[in-house]
Amino acid sequence: MKIVVAYKWAPNPQDASVGVDGAVDWSRAKPGISEYDPVAIELARRLAEATGGEVIALTAGPKSVDASMARKAALSRGFDRAVIVADDALEGAGTTELAAVLAAAVRHIGDVDVVITGDSSVDVGAKMVPTVLAGQLGWPAVAEVTAVSGSDPAAGLLRVERAITGGTQVLEITGPAVLAASTDAAVPRVPGMRDILAAGKKPVETLEVPALDVPASGTTVTVTATARPDLKARKGQLIDTADPAAAAAELVAALRADGAI
Amino acid sequence: MTALEVSNKAEPDFDVIIVGAGIAGCIAAYQLAQQGRSVLLIERGEAPGSKNLSGGVLYCRGMQEVFPDFLDSAPVERRVTRNYINFLNAESSIGIDYKDTRLADPVNAVTVLRAKLDPWLAGKCEEAGVFLMSGVRVDRVLTENGATGKRVVGVKAGDDELRAHVVVAADGVNSFIAQEVGLRAKQPLNHLATGVKCVVNLPAETIEARFGVTGDEGAAFAVVGDCTEGVGGGGFMYTNTNSISVGVVLRLDDLTAKRKVATDVFDHFLTHPFIAPYLEGGEVIEYGCHMVAEGGLGMLGEIDMDGMVVVGDAAGLTLNTGLTVRGMDLAVASGVAAAVGIGASLERKDFSKAGLAGYRETLFASPEGKDMKTYAKAPAFLEVERMYKDYGELIANVLYGAFNLDTKPREHLAKVAIRAFKKSPVKVRHLISDGIAGVRAL
Repeated sequence: MKIVVAYKWAPNPQDASVGVDGAVDWSRAKPGISEYDPVAIELARRLAEATGGEVIALTAGPKSVDASMARKAALSRGFDRAVIVADDALEGAGTTELAAVLAAAVRHIGDVDVVITGDSSVDVGAKMVPTVLAGQLGWPAVAEVTAVSGSDPAAGLLRVERAITGGTQVLEITGPAVLAASTDAAVPRVPGMRDILAAGKKPVETLEVPALDVPASGTTVTVTATARPDLKARKGQLIDTADPAAAAAELVAALRADGAI
Repeated sequence: MTALEVSNKAEPDFDVIIVGAGIAGCIAAYQLAQQGRSVLLIERGEAPGSKNLSGGVLYCRGMQEVFPDFLDSAPVERRVTRNYINFLNAESSIGIDYKDTRLADPVNAVTVLRAKLDPWLAGKCEEAGVFLMSGVRVDRVLTENGATGKRVVGVKAGDDELRAHVVVAADGVNSFIAQEVGLRAKQPLNHLATGVKCVVNLPAETIEARFGVTGDEGAAFAVVGDCTEGVGGGGFMYTNTNSISVGVVLRLDDLTAKRKVATDVFDHFLTHPFIAPYLEGGEVIEYGCHMVAEGGLGMLGEIDMDGMVVVGDAAGLTLNTGLTVRGMDLAVASGVAAAVGIGASLERKDFSKAGLAGYRETLFASPEGKDMKTYAKAPAFLEVERMYKDYGELIANVLYGAFNLDTKPREHLAKVAIRAFKKSPVKVRHLISDGIAGVRAL
């Protein structure tokens, strides 16, 4: 079975800051494997171990996604090889454009049985790439996937579990599909020193966008505005703690009055 | 064949494993890779520089010997052409403003932000062939009992063990590796200081106007006195391209003795009427604390043993002369010296303490190593209480007598000085002893 995991080399919002005007300053944010992608890699690894398949890393972005640190960070997590579309033309590319390039790369790899992605990217979080990618490939997309196994590997059949409201659902998929892992589908392994050393020796194919057959997109989706969520109205009630016993009594009374206890 | 003999014969994974991708670790790694050695550089942070809050003034001549194009290609912030030394009192300040165009040609000191410099250095290492491993915390070093006692043969992280002919401990001021193998004792409190600092964003034009510099010139301020509320140590402020780094360094023993809280002292410094105008309107973009080694030569531990050397802050290589606070240039020198010593030991296939002696010899033959000896008495001198309070007030009182034309007839300055001196807790014997000690120490 040929399993592709599409991951993102994304800036971590932990070090980004939001200015007073609402603009996000990403300049101090350090890049890394996007937060939820290791879960997808772990699902893929388990599927490959059960079916004897190959796990291929796939990413697309500006040249920085092919930096030595970025490669090692990905390949140390249990991939057999990587296909990296590194092209500065993809700097700031939107979800539709990235998904189209990823789809072209999946076709370029050829005979892929399943593409697994993380739930969403840590920097954008649009949850769009898996579905647009599936649309580009003409495959079904399944989100909130909690487990994958090959029910009949020879025929390329997948058995997929996914979380739905109030429970789980088990699906049988007869052909190739794009699966987006739920955020807690698996606990990812932490790469050890030997994994990182081995990562340096794994084959990597680096491509630029012109080397791929990326069809012109009929539809583009552009983010035109973002806004902060409204702050929840809070009572802002302060209790004087000079007298602890009185303060505790006042707190209990206040909580009772609001029906919190 | 015993298990020990088997492992002795096992080919190591690398010639050299370096723990810590700071300045000393990177320089040693780079130079060893340039010698054609296989080098593994392990960094605890997700990327080099990510654990490093600091920056500071880098006296850069040593760095330029390693990277001749350092000033043009490395991410340096500003070239320091103005040094301001300040005695700060609660209501007054006396400064020596030393500005010299000779400091710019050739460039002698630059300000750097380690979050930018360290990734650049690590990138140079990778270009030279070093295998950089980020996000790995080394749990301990592997040791074996050799003919002359315990020797280091590799490192262990998680379930994995990797072996090398030589391990370099470059893991910073709290080096647990050097402590673990007994090369460094737990430091006394007067050898350690806590640094509290922040980085304040301001437009380049504002910084240049406030600090009286132009273009890529920068300023470094060293402050003693009320900035630390009398605690041994000092305050500093220096200019980056678009930000100001400002902080205090407080000797731990004195901080404890005076029952002060480091963050309170820091807040006092930031809001001091002398400091606040420089920072006004800026936005704090980084804030943090770090342990600083202050012991000088007295803190320098054992820096070599069979199979291992210790470099940079991990070796206690920092120097506070009162005028200049140095660490990064000593890290460069120790990285260079380690590469020389290890290179020779690999050549001779002798990884014992004796085989690695070239490191110590090269380090102490370098200008930086000689400075460690020259300034050996500086830490004790700087522990003198009067430095942080009484002298600043004494000078201010003398000057106040001269400048405060309060309608009374002026007296000879000598008289004013003698009166101020009599009121001050500073005694003649202090002046003499501190003077002699200062001349000897600095």
